[in-house]
Amino acid sequence: MASVYIPVQNSEEEVRVALDQLPRDASDILDILKAEQAPLDLWLIIAREYFKQGKIDQFRQILEEGSSPEIDDYYADVRYERIAILNALGAYYSYLGKIETKQREKEEHFILATQYYNKASRIDMHEPSTWVGKDHELAYFCIVGFTAETCQLLLAKGEVEQASAAFKIVIDGDHDNVPALLGQLLRAEYLYMDKVKIQHHILVQACVEFNRGRYSESLELYKVGCMAIFFAIEKSAVRLGIGLCRYKLGQFEKAQQAFERVLHAKNVEALVALAIMDLRTNEATGIRKGMVKMQRAFEIYPYCAMALNYLANHFFFTGQHFLVEQLTETALAVTNHGPTKSHSYYNLARSYHSKGDYDKAGVYYMASVKEVNKPHEFVFPYYGLGQVQIKLGDFKSALSNFEKVLEVYPDNCETLKALGHIYVQLGQTDKGQDFIRRATKIDPRDAQAFLELGELLILSDTGAALDAFKTARTLFKKGGQEVPIELLNNVGVLQFERGEFELAQQTFKEALGDGIWISFINEENKSSIDAATSTLQFKDRQLFHDLESNGHRVEVPWDKVTVLFNLARLLEQLNESGTASILYRLILFKYPDYIDACLRLAAIAKARNNILLSIELVSCNLLALVNDALKVNDKCPNALSMLGELELKNDDWVKAKETLRAASDATDGKDSYATLSLGNWNYFAAVRNEKRNPKLEATHLEKAKELYTRVLIQHSSNLYAANGAAVVLAEKGHFDVSKDIFTQVQEAASGSVFVQMPDVWINLAHVYFAQGNFALAVKMYQNCLRKFYYNTDSQILLYLARTHYEAEQWQDCIKTLLRAIHLAPSNYTLRFDAGVAMQKFSASTLQKAKRTADEVRATVAELQNAVRVFSQLSAASNLHIHGFDEKKIDTHVGYCNHLLSAAKVHLEAAEREEQQVRQRQELARQVALAEEARRKAEEQRKFQMERRKQEDELKRVQQQEEHFKRVKEQWKSSTHSKRRERSDDEEGGTGEKKKRKSGKKRKKDKHSKSRYDTEEPETDMMDEQEMEDEEADVNYREEPQTLMNDDGEENAQGLLAAAGLEDSDADEDMAAPSSSVARRRQALSESDDDEPLQRQSSPVRENSADMQESDGEIREVDKTNGDDASDEEKQY
Amino acid sequence: MKLGGIKSVENAHDDSVWAVTWVPATANRPPLLLTGSLDETVRLWRSDDLLLDRTNTGHCLGVASVAAHPLGSLAASSSLDSFVRVFDVDSNATVATLEAPPSEVWQMRFDPKGAILAVAGGGSASVKLWDTSTWELVTTLSIPRPEGPKPTDKSGSKKFVLSVAWSPDGKRLACGSMDGTISVFDVPRAKFLHHLEGHFMAVRSLVYSPYDPRLLFTASDDGNVHMYDAEGKALVGTMSGHASWVLCVDVSPDGAAIATGSSDRSVRLWDLSMRASVQTMSNHTDQVWGVAFRPPGGSDARGGRLASVSDDKSISLYDYS
Repeated sequence: MASVYIPVQNSEEEVRVALDQLPRDASDILDILKAEQAPLDLWLIIAREYFKQGKIDQFRQILEEGSSPEIDDYYADVRYERIAILNALGAYYSYLGKIETKQREKEEHFILATQYYNKASRIDMHEPSTWVGKDHELAYFCIVGFTAETCQLLLAKGEVEQASAAFKIVIDGDHDNVPALLGQLLRAEYLYMDKVKIQHHILVQACVEFNRGRYSESLELYKVGCMAIFFAIEKSAVRLGIGLCRYKLGQFEKAQQAFERVLHAKNVEALVALAIMDLRTNEATGIRKGMVKMQRAFEIYPYCAMALNYLANHFFFTGQHFLVEQLTETALAVTNHGPTKSHSYYNLARSYHSKGDYDKAGVYYMASVKEVNKPHEFVFPYYGLGQVQIKLGDFKSALSNFEKVLEVYPDNCETLKALGHIYVQLGQTDKGQDFIRRATKIDPRDAQAFLELGELLILSDTGAALDAFKTARTLFKKGGQEVPIELLNNVGVLQFERGEFELAQQTFKEALGDGIWISFINEENKSSIDAATSTLQFKDRQLFHDLESNGHRVEVPWDKVTVLFNLARLLEQLNESGTASILYRLILFKYPDYIDACLRLAAIAKARNNILLSIELVSCNLLALVNDALKVNDKCPNALSMLGELELKNDDWVKAKETLRAASDATDGKDSYATLSLGNWNYFAAVRNEKRNPKLEATHLEKAKELYTRVLIQHSSNLYAANGAAVVLAEKGHFDVSKDIFTQVQEAASGSVFVQMPDVWINLAHVYFAQGNFALAVKMYQNCLRKFYYNTDSQILLYLARTHYEAEQWQDCIKTLLRAIHLAPSNYTLRFDAGVAMQKFSASTLQKAKRTADEVRATVAELQNAVRVFSQLSAASNLHIHGFDEKKIDTHVGYCNHLLSAAKVHLEAAEREEQQVRQRQELARQVALAEEARRKAEEQRKFQMERRKQEDELKRVQQQEEHFKRVKEQWKSSTHSKRRERSDDEEGGTGEKKKRKSGKKRKKDKHSKSRYDTEEPETDMMDEQEMEDEEADVNYREEPQTLMNDDGEENAQGLLAAAGLEDSDADEDMAAPSSSVARRRQALSESDDDEPLQRQSSPVRENSADMQESDGEIREVDKTNGDDASDEEKQY
Repeated sequence: MKLGGIKSVENAHDDSVWAVTWVPATANRPPLLLTGSLDETVRLWRSDDLLLDRTNTGHCLGVASVAAHPLGSLAASSSLDSFVRVFDVDSNATVATLEAPPSEVWQMRFDPKGAILAVAGGGSASVKLWDTSTWELVTTLSIPRPEGPKPTDKSGSKKFVLSVAWSPDGKRLACGSMDGTISVFDVPRAKFLHHLEGHFMAVRSLVYSPYDPRLLFTASDDGNVHMYDAEGKALVGTMSGHASWVLCVDVSPDGAAIATGSSDRSVRLWDLSMRASVQTMSNHTDQVWGVAFRPPGGSDARGGRLASVSDDKSISLYDYS
């Protein structure tokens, strides 16, 4: 049996004290110790022995005596042992505090413990063991109370690191190095005191490691500590620690064993730990078992916060919120341990969250988060807080919270989705997309994630968006869930946008489901629905009243209105405008404030009246409708824009400008459509005033440019603004720049069905035209016509014709004009242009050096056509039936007469030419074969006979045209006389074939020069015609002035043309005697002296003419442009 | 009911084909197809194989309209230069050349009895009626000017007459105009009756139902086909579906269907009982300017035939059943 020896003072004897036979009364042994002034370590040994034997009072008595003031005095220089005694006492009271349940007594124990420790540390601040004491205590509480009722001393203050640092001083080594610690332990094994000390060290370190999350190190330390265990109470604590470590390390079975070994002591912590282990099996039976254990723990010790929390958690899921609150409140009252409190707050917050009390939930989440040091420890409150913050609109904070969650769970779908959502809300769509894409990758069966992804992609990549939506739809369907209407709507819209109309229609119908609309969509022929009348009266909603009074229920659920609108929009696209109109009106019937539907109705009406001459009807029909929309919302910029546009169409310029201004103001200038419209207005104004006031034109252009630029600054990708800006540039002559812009816009516009920009094609063609690249211009016009107008736009045909005209492709020009006439029969301008083209064609043929009789005949026919067209035109114009002004008709007539006379000359020339051909042939025969000459002459005569016969036939066909006949008669007589003269001349200069030839050559030169002369007036005429047409609706009052000018010009030009032709004849005569030298000289175009001025000036005039024309079109075109823009706006 | 393609002739003309009609069968020949084109020719085709029978020349500017006498012996063709040539179908002999300046000539139709040729007069806002025996101008049916002050904008007050149609009993004549209004006349009394409203864009073609003298079908540039009660001034139905202008309409001899041709390059068949498009033929590659059902009669009239002509220079023949 172990015993200690107390050295007897002043002798060499010793008193032997058997440790197992210590006296019952500690005073005896105390007396001995005091009397013999025994070393203090003996006191400690004996006290421990008492403690071991369960004699707590004796233990305390000895230690208290050992720490009394007189001992302090006596052993003043024995520091270490005094400290050890105090430490032991501190540990004892700590233990008492631990096991005490009443808060007051518990605190008293702890206060005592602290006093002892403090006293110890006063003895020597630098004595390591005092630190150890505190640390020991810390360790103790940490081990035992991971559930932490008692962690007031250090840990609750968050001084884990401090504790660790302090402990580092003690073990004086590398605390990470467990083997080193073990070595130290072994070295000190035989020293009892040291053993205890080291044991403490180890346990403290274990605890610290545990709290740092280094579970395996902690486990090793616990194991070592377990070997050297001293206090029984500590043993169970160590086991618990081991269990926790194993649990954290995932060694659940061993952990369970450890816990079960502690269980016999009715250890609540172990019970709770076991219960948690049961719960985490995640099986029904396990959970039940776990909850039973929890409840037992709760019964054993109702203030274990951990158990309370778990119970609360359980009741949260069973939905007993009242119990949750009670339990968590108790838990909060009994614990000061951060993580546990955090858990409790979290439970409370969750309860409020689920009840929808976001403010309170937010507060408790926040409290919970505050108790958590690192998100890794307990991340749920961050998630909850984030959710609540999203609800409350605080996205920035939510973002940081969710990011913390994501750090812990980088693959959590919900978090990724939430983050994606937040980024979208914050406007960082790219980041949002990334997150949601990640979410869909991690869980490819999450319909919601695909839905959100789709919504994000709509703006950037419609194809991908559609795919995402479709995936979501199939997932919903697979899951047996009802597919949300919004999803179907989005799918439909995307399909619509991609031009998959059939699919879109199906999708919309699926989204709509069953309802009153079915009858409108499918059974249009049903007698109860009179589609016919309904298409007429856009405001008529009688239909629905009738239906209602007939007992049908006309219902449109609010969530289906948008789908219905989209379907109607789609039907419109599919040209089912009748059905679309009914659907729009159905919407308006139920939701009279749905402006878009109202505007679409107006747009349908407008489309129907597109080329209509009667703008009166338009204004009646449409202004009323749009005013309806305005009544609903006076500030609606869309309606204002449309109204402005209609006013423009109605030629109400000033009003239109005001309305557009108002539209622009209503949106603080942010509505690019209104700004664009204003820009267009300015542009039109500039073009309109071109002839009047160049200054005004410049300001208007400048203003237009400014407005376009403003839109471009706001929306750098606005095609219409870019187009407008390019038009202004072209207007100023910067063709290359504008061409680039047009090309880019054209490319950009060729993606969506909603962006239809034929204007840019036309503008591009205009630029090519202005640059003289006729072939490309023709191609561009043709493509545009085919692509956007189903070849129905006579205006573009006119441009095309003009291009052919410039390119001198007369037949193409005439054919194109004929097509245009066929398309727009009431446009007499086209006939006029056709006449001009025919005349021009004839003139150019006549100017050819070599021409066959057939050619001349064709020419004559063409001329006759031209004459007929002109005479018809003048006759028709006399009826003043197409709104032309009287004066204008006079001009027409005058010009026609001029042309007629010109044609007369042409015809003369043609006849003469024919005769010349004949004569030439005759002469050639004479020179070559004198003897055959007579026979040839006979043939010639025969040929002549045939000719005449043919001419007769021609005449017969046109017998009825007396007027012309008379003219022809006249011509014939005059030609005869002339011919006679001519032949005389020729007889005079016999054998001058060569000279004749040269004369002809020269004539050709001459003609090619004069071409410009003749061409100019025609071109101008065409342009002016068009201009006037355009202007006719622009400003009627101003027209007389223009006409006056035109009169002068046209007359002069007509005369000029005639003169030019006369000239050529004169030339011919003169040239007859000239020599070949002269011919060469003329070929070198020295004879151009008299004309270079005209030549040079002509291109300039042509250019200006071009511009005039293109202006006109651009104007027209921009109007349609506006339509498209408004269409687009009204899309969704 | 459905259409089945029988034959198509590419490049039937040298340029856009603008007009088509069937010349009814006579005692010694089957019905012929008559087409007119921008290439200034009028051509006759033997049915089903679409073999070119003859090419008539003589017109200037494009041939815009052709019409056939109900007896099948005579036909008329007109061109943009506003001449009407009436000719003997079998011999191509010119019977008469008609013009009534300053009136233009657009669509022409013989009345069901063949006594009158009605010619849409374009800008003259009138329909000219010619006696088919004397070839004298009988009547001018003028559309009255609406009351009220003279409008100043270019919408004007004049109706530009584009198309004409006879009621099956020959008592009524309807004409369509550029502004979309349709005017109905009482022919025996030479009196204007009323307007039919509903279209606001050019009505290029219209036709009466063969059985119901009140029922009128109209095709308009607004993309819709309307059904009117021409007597009751009521719009009975609207059929939408074409993507662009509806250029021509014809009603089947049985009165159960109509066919339309459109700028959207398609020919559509509409079931009148359903008031819906039942078939869309898209074999043409450009605007379809004319559709014509073959009239019943003739020895080899096996089944219904529909012909269509287009800007793509081709003619197509379909079986209608």
